[in-house]
Amino acid sequence: MRVSLKWLRELVDVTLDTPALVDLLDMTGTKVEAIHTVGQAVDGVVVGRILTKERHPEAEKLWVTTVDVGAGEPLQIVCGAQNFEAGDLVPVATVGTTLPNGLTIKKAKLRGVVSEGMNCSAAELGLGADQSGLLILPSDAPVGTPFFEYHGTADTVLELEVTPNRPDCLSMAGVAREVAAVTGVSARVPSGVPSESGAPVSTSVSVAIEDPAFCPRYTARLIRGVKIAPSPEWLAERVAAAGARPISNVVDVTNYVMFELGQPLHAFDAAAIGVADGRAAITVRVARPGERLVTLDGQDRELTADTLVIADPTGPVALAGVMGGADTEVTDATVDILLEAACFAPASVGRTSRRLALISEASQRFERGVDPNACIAAVDRAAQLLAEVSGGTVAPGVIDAYPVPIVPAVVTLRVSRTNALLGTDLTEPVVTGILTRLGLTVTGSDDADVLLVTVPTFRPDLTREADLIEEVVRVFGMDRVASTLPAGRGRVGGLTSQQTLTERIGAALRGAGLNEAITWSFADPTDTERLEWTFGPGEMPVRLLNPMSADQAVLRTTTLPGLLRAVAHNRNRGVADVHLYEIGSVWFTADGRKLPKERTVIAGVLAGSWKRPEWNDAPPVLDLFDAKGVLESVIEDLGIARFKLRATDLPWLQPGRSAEVLVGGDVIGWLGEAHPSVLDAYECAGPVAVFEVQLKPLLKAARDVRPFTDLPRYPGVKMDVALVVDEGVSAERAEQTIRSAGGKLLESARLFDVYRGEGVPAGLKSLAYSLVYRDPERTLTSDEVEQAHEKLVRKVTGALGGRLRGGE
Amino acid sequence: MALIDELGRLRDDGLEAIAASDDLTSLEAVRIALLGKKGSLTAALRGLGGLSAEERPAVGKVSNEVRTSLESALAAREGTLGSAALRARLAAEAVDITLPGRRRAPGREHLIARVVREVSDIFIGLGYTIAEGPEVELDYYNFTALNTPPDHPARNASDTFYVEDLSGETAAVRGESDVLLRTQTSPVQVRVMENATPPIYILAPGRVYRRDVADPSHLPQFTQIEGLVVDEGITFGDLKGTLEHFAREMFGPQRKVRLRPHFFPFTEPSAEVDVSCHLCDGVGCRMCKGSGWLEILGCGVVDPNVFGFAGIDPERYTGFAFGMGAERIAALKYGVPDLRHFVESDMRFLRQF
Repeated sequence: MRVSLKWLRELVDVTLDTPALVDLLDMTGTKVEAIHTVGQAVDGVVVGRILTKERHPEAEKLWVTTVDVGAGEPLQIVCGAQNFEAGDLVPVATVGTTLPNGLTIKKAKLRGVVSEGMNCSAAELGLGADQSGLLILPSDAPVGTPFFEYHGTADTVLELEVTPNRPDCLSMAGVAREVAAVTGVSARVPSGVPSESGAPVSTSVSVAIEDPAFCPRYTARLIRGVKIAPSPEWLAERVAAAGARPISNVVDVTNYVMFELGQPLHAFDAAAIGVADGRAAITVRVARPGERLVTLDGQDRELTADTLVIADPTGPVALAGVMGGADTEVTDATVDILLEAACFAPASVGRTSRRLALISEASQRFERGVDPNACIAAVDRAAQLLAEVSGGTVAPGVIDAYPVPIVPAVVTLRVSRTNALLGTDLTEPVVTGILTRLGLTVTGSDDADVLLVTVPTFRPDLTREADLIEEVVRVFGMDRVASTLPAGRGRVGGLTSQQTLTERIGAALRGAGLNEAITWSFADPTDTERLEWTFGPGEMPVRLLNPMSADQAVLRTTTLPGLLRAVAHNRNRGVADVHLYEIGSVWFTADGRKLPKERTVIAGVLAGSWKRPEWNDAPPVLDLFDAKGVLESVIEDLGIARFKLRATDLPWLQPGRSAEVLVGGDVIGWLGEAHPSVLDAYECAGPVAVFEVQLKPLLKAARDVRPFTDLPRYPGVKMDVALVVDEGVSAERAEQTIRSAGGKLLESARLFDVYRGEGVPAGLKSLAYSLVYRDPERTLTSDEVEQAHEKLVRKVTGALGGRLRGGE
Repeated sequence: MALIDELGRLRDDGLEAIAASDDLTSLEAVRIALLGKKGSLTAALRGLGGLSAEERPAVGKVSNEVRTSLESALAAREGTLGSAALRARLAAEAVDITLPGRRRAPGREHLIARVVREVSDIFIGLGYTIAEGPEVELDYYNFTALNTPPDHPARNASDTFYVEDLSGETAAVRGESDVLLRTQTSPVQVRVMENATPPIYILAPGRVYRRDVADPSHLPQFTQIEGLVVDEGITFGDLKGTLEHFAREMFGPQRKVRLRPHFFPFTEPSAEVDVSCHLCDGVGCRMCKGSGWLEILGCGVVDPNVFGFAGIDPERYTGFAFGMGAERIAALKYGVPDLRHFVESDMRFLRQF
């Protein structure tokens, strides 16, 4: 809502300066989003007359003009506007002028032609939003006069953010009432009583409302013998200050009254309305199947059954509250005007304007709600102004279809409740005073604590006690309410153990070198094809009904595509080393499900190296063992004992470097290196190690509190052993065999080398373990160790079909 | 006394050889040549056995003196040579300490996660717990139970993401589906109110979705942090005090805080909260667009209708709720100019914080 302070001052005595007024509006809930200075006097702009207008030799859309600015030779000015003719008077910015938008005018060549100034639009002079062409001045404007001296005084326009509950503030009168209420003065709401003559309106017009639920009230007036012309300057200026483009006296009056009083009006060419019983017959009804209407913008529109229309006996003539029809539009030939001021139901107008994507100043006001009891004042005011600016005469009487009058609501308010909710100590006179200033009527009741508050119909948002309490604190001042903290007893804040564990997982992942990422929950429907993702029986991705784009049309079933895209994003920007993790949701649905299954997963991606090589450190290329190591550090941190990988070829992972992750015997996710074809699809160079595991089973398996284990008091004996075994023997099996063969005395076995090559026949490999033997209760003798070790070697070589490296 | 003379010669030669040794190896060789089992002094002392009882004390005394003087010379020379060797070694091992260190860089927490943690910690300190809920929600929890009218613009398909409902039910409110991506974490609050009895002090952080094109100040997926308090005797003043405490903890103790009345369907009275700009200290700058204030959150006293949906008696209990965007808080506090950085996973961005 644009509010001209010049206009506002006519409606209310504003005693504050602009910054103080802006601050007060901000602090009472009507936020000032911007302050525009309009008509800020700029030196160097003068009134000029265009003498000649010729096509620019090099540019089709440019004109070369000569302009008389009242002094010296006429100026040659190149101009891009299309709305003028030779002889027109326009504002001219001469060389050296700095316009309100910061542009300084210089003598310049435009496509080879010298230009010595600029012919200006209203917007370029800071006089509103109109930048569609030059500002054409009346023919009596004195050439050579400084433009702003001619134009008159400056104005300030406030751009207000009006919240959806305050339709009343979408008008100058409403803002004036609000300013009056918060500054403690009273507002002057303008009204107009037209002088009437001729045959009464009722002899020429009839109105019927089919469904009052969609249209509680419809009022109309008839103005005969108008002459369509440009508006007088005061009217054009007001309309422009409010943000509309001046069009003609009739359109401008309807817009003016809408901005002034908040009531949208529509002007029909009365002669174009179909007649029944000798009268122009208006019916307000919903559209019938198959009905169409060509609207003002020339579009032929098909109407659906929930579209509210204004119809004559032949069919729809306007979309109620949204847009008029082309056939009944006011034209230069129009003689009689049928002026409509109606109240349409917000939901109906909202639906129609959204469906047709027609959002106008009028539709926005109807959508929020206009005051049904203000229609008459608005139609009277408009008729009076229309007669004044168009030379027409107003037919006696108003058509007023108002089947079920809407009466002001009475709401009860407890002063005690007001104070209890706000934490204040306001007395009844203070509360009553605030409500009265807002235009509400307060009367007492039998109970001294209970007030009966009558709410005028321009405040449809005030229906309950809570609504009134809000008004009290808003006007009293939120800054005047004392700050306290809740006093409730017996509460303890904190994280649940699950939340703490989840935070620990994040910390462990970071400790292992991964950086936290947030990727899109949205996925490309083709992602699962590219991965050859395997769904569980009946499972499918969740499809969005209104995605932003085709490549974000489903919810992700895995984080892998997002993480691979992150790798590609980094690589494309020259970042080779990428190590990321994400803790987030994935979704699966199935036929018959309303809400999908939502699972939190922990996922990671490792590509490149931990860092670029440095002078003393050349880190190796990351592979699946780095990913496994990361996961192992999380597992260790959570105190989970039963964790392992099981070789399983998954389609999105490279065969032979692909595994399922098991915790406590259950599959909780997967780990490996991305399949080369997947890497191609996401434009990443490999290897890229990835993993994704479910959070919930990890949390379940976590052992948060682990008992103390005594530190060894007696020395251990370290023995190394290198086993040559078949390639088919896994490290896991070798270690299990060693552990079971080592018995109680074997404390640990650490694989420190895997060797293939000289000395080890093809098809075999050497696994070298460092073993520690220890008895917790005493020092072992060398004989005991020898015996245990011999037994271990014998059992292990037997079980694995291997031999000792370097042995027989 | 030939033996005494010989001992004197041995001593003189020995001291000379010790002095001439220029490293610990040659000094050890001298020691062995003099005092070892086959050393010259050892050999000379064997001659002591052939002396008469009268000669023996005098010669014995001299021989002890010779041994003592050689041993102390050896020790002194060893000390001298040893510290020289150490000095040489240390000199050889000196490095250019301006060379870069060998780093193991732990990963970083995402800035949004960090902001969520900072905010959570402040409210945990005030006795709140953290509540969570699904990101794919029912219209009922996201809108209806929060007093959002059926024709409210936020429900439009242009503003809210709807997903396919495979239950076969027809949409109760409008359009094709009652299932949507939550546009706020308030549905978590409704679920908590349904299942818990007051007092309720919760904070609900989480991912939310709104149909905005990604640009410097919008993301279709972002992070909301909302709070809810329901208890006996909760006032608007409590809301104000709580948020002032929060804003100062988050943005600094010098910050001024103001509540501006606003409108939300689920609270009444409602307000927006501004904090004085920490860059310009409220004078006006590019960050605060000249106003001196930064809008950080929306809040209000819980609307009685919301209690009605949740089955809480609005006469006995009152409460307040507030909500903020973690991305906005992060952008303001850390000066991030473009919210898209938060979802691009650029390592150079992630490793800054």
